[in-house]
Amino acid sequence: MVPSRGLPSGSRPTGVSVGPAWSEAPCPILVVDRNGGIVEVNEAARTLLSGTAGGDRPSWHLPDWLADAHRCVTGGPSTTCAPTRSGRIGERMFEAFPTPHPDGDVVWWLIDDTDRRLAEETLRRAQERAAVLAGVSGTLLSSLSVQTCVEAAARLAVHHLADAAVLISPASPAGSDRFPVTFARAGGPVTGTTRTVDPATVPGLAEALQGLPSVPACWIDPGEVPAWVIPQGFEGPVGSVVVTPLPGHGVPDGALILLRSVGRRAFAEDEEAFAGLFAARVGAALSSVRVYGEQSRVTALLMRELLPPALGTVHGVEYAGRFRPFQDSERIGGDFYDVHPGADPAEETLVVLGDVAGKGLDAAVLTGRVRNSLHALRPLAHDHGHVLGLLNTALLTSPHERFVTLALASVLRRRAGRVRLRLTSAGHPPPLVLRADGRVEESGTYGDLLGAMPSVSFRTEELVLAPGETCLLYTDGITEARGGPVGGELYGVERLARDLTGRAGMPAEAVVERVHMLAAQWLGRGRHDDMAVVAIGAPRTGPLAVVDGDGHADRRGGADPHVGEDVRSPNTHWRQKRTRRT
Amino acid sequence: MTAPDPEFSLIVTAVADVLRVEIAGDLDQTASEELVRAVAGHLTPGTAFRHLRLDFRQLTWIDSMGLAALLRTRRLTSTAGVRLRLDNRPGFLDRLLALTGTSAHLTASGSTGEEVTGTGTG
Repeated sequence: MVPSRGLPSGSRPTGVSVGPAWSEAPCPILVVDRNGGIVEVNEAARTLLSGTAGGDRPSWHLPDWLADAHRCVTGGPSTTCAPTRSGRIGERMFEAFPTPHPDGDVVWWLIDDTDRRLAEETLRRAQERAAVLAGVSGTLLSSLSVQTCVEAAARLAVHHLADAAVLISPASPAGSDRFPVTFARAGGPVTGTTRTVDPATVPGLAEALQGLPSVPACWIDPGEVPAWVIPQGFEGPVGSVVVTPLPGHGVPDGALILLRSVGRRAFAEDEEAFAGLFAARVGAALSSVRVYGEQSRVTALLMRELLPPALGTVHGVEYAGRFRPFQDSERIGGDFYDVHPGADPAEETLVVLGDVAGKGLDAAVLTGRVRNSLHALRPLAHDHGHVLGLLNTALLTSPHERFVTLALASVLRRRAGRVRLRLTSAGHPPPLVLRADGRVEESGTYGDLLGAMPSVSFRTEELVLAPGETCLLYTDGITEARGGPVGGELYGVERLARDLTGRAGMPAEAVVERVHMLAAQWLGRGRHDDMAVVAIGAPRTGPLAVVDGDGHADRRGGADPHVGEDVRSPNTHWRQKRTRRT
Repeated sequence: MTAPDPEFSLIVTAVADVLRVEIAGDLDQTASEELVRAVAGHLTPGTAFRHLRLDFRQLTWIDSMGLAALLRTRRLTSTAGVRLRLDNRPGFLDRLLALTGTSAHLTASGSTGEEVTGTGTG
């Protein structure tokens, strides 16, 4: 670009011919001699230079950046040639393009790129802010507690927007004048407190807390900001203030107050707009966290209702239960059990073990209904058939398309440590009894599953446990466990009975533990259904008590009106008749 | 007994007014939904079918969700006035139906909506 041949300077007038097209060209053009003197300018350049330097040509000189560029082109003393040939003239930015002339003059074409630069600068800022906002959302959405989220928001506000930030959360309790307030300042800690706030005392705060658009910063007199808003350690008086709402999902989620000290530039219009965008992200994140927190609180509450109860000894009879959901990560499922103690030792305790078809939360919700229904029906439990008939009707009229199988046991401790049981199965595997002599018996109860058929019937069996004997209620998840040495084989009730043979005398807790262990061993790592087990144990009496001579309890016969009888609830008859009519 | 997860398949054949569904493999949750969908798809209102025969010759296992599917099928046939028959039932299916008291409800020869089944005794 530097002309190789040098011509003596001072050749005037310039050899560059100046035509009308040249002088009326829209961009400023200057002809500059090798010494940097302006030789000729066109109209546009004249307007530009007279606008900045004023006066006429004698007082004009090249701006420094153009003088440097010119020296560079003419091969003058400046050896360091800056790559940029652009700079400011007056209020505008120009890029300069040289056309060296053989006589040593250089024609400089100046292209005004002020608007392009402004656009580029705006774009860069917008990109920066978009990145900041994305980062804000990322940071805030990764926190699951409201407290963490609020603190992070205050910290980010200080980092990106202001010297101090005060985040006012919605009043707690709602409608009161107590507001959780979080303070942050540059270089300081984030602190939180709950205090009485009269929103009317802070300009723009009342509007922001109602979710109304924020009041322009220039309308807020920093002197009116009450002292409590200014975080401790804030340097200097407040110079400018932005109060912006935090828009939540549907309702405002508090307000954000941004403070800048007098020493710093006041909030510009675009910064206020950016603060609004920032607040929108914060509000959305806070709202999500609040909803999440509320939901997890509700879930935990409901979950507690659905969890299996802790069992122990009631009225001299041992109870133990274990539940293993089909997915080990879950805590609830379709199997359930409950023990409803009698009001006193002379009243029967009702034990329920059941299985709702299906797994997971859907099934668990129905178990909750069944458990509540049975709890309410407990006073009728002297007649299992009646209770089950009522439950069947209730299930048939509920919107669920699921059925339930369950086993009921009414338990009463008799003299000499014996325990009388009335057992009824509703489509459920019949309970097993671990006899004192080591045998394992399957009870003779049977009945229909509930919630599928309009008419159901059951056979209740009564039996007696001697001290040390145990009755085991289990769901089919145990016997249908697939595994074994070959793999894929069913565990089955025969194998379960064989594995429990000779195990009488163990505490109920140990029996339950053993059954789960057996099933788990059989399964290996195979997948399984929900598994639930309840053991009802007649405790061994103390060393002085003598177990009956024959060692196991007698099965009582037909003398008792319940035994061997087909029990059907009156309700069942009614439904049956109605069905016949239709 | 059987290998876990045998391939489940449904073969649906329609001859005159008889809809025949052969069920092979394990009738578990996923398979059950397929079965009910297939039956519901054929027993549309005003269907010409009068009989539904489920053939279990190649059934390898059924769990509680499978039983739920059979009960839903029974409801569909009742509504459509179609007779349901469960053919070639393996022992484990019979045992499940007996345990849950659903045998008569599902297998009674005239199991249409007008009749009451499953009471065992009158």
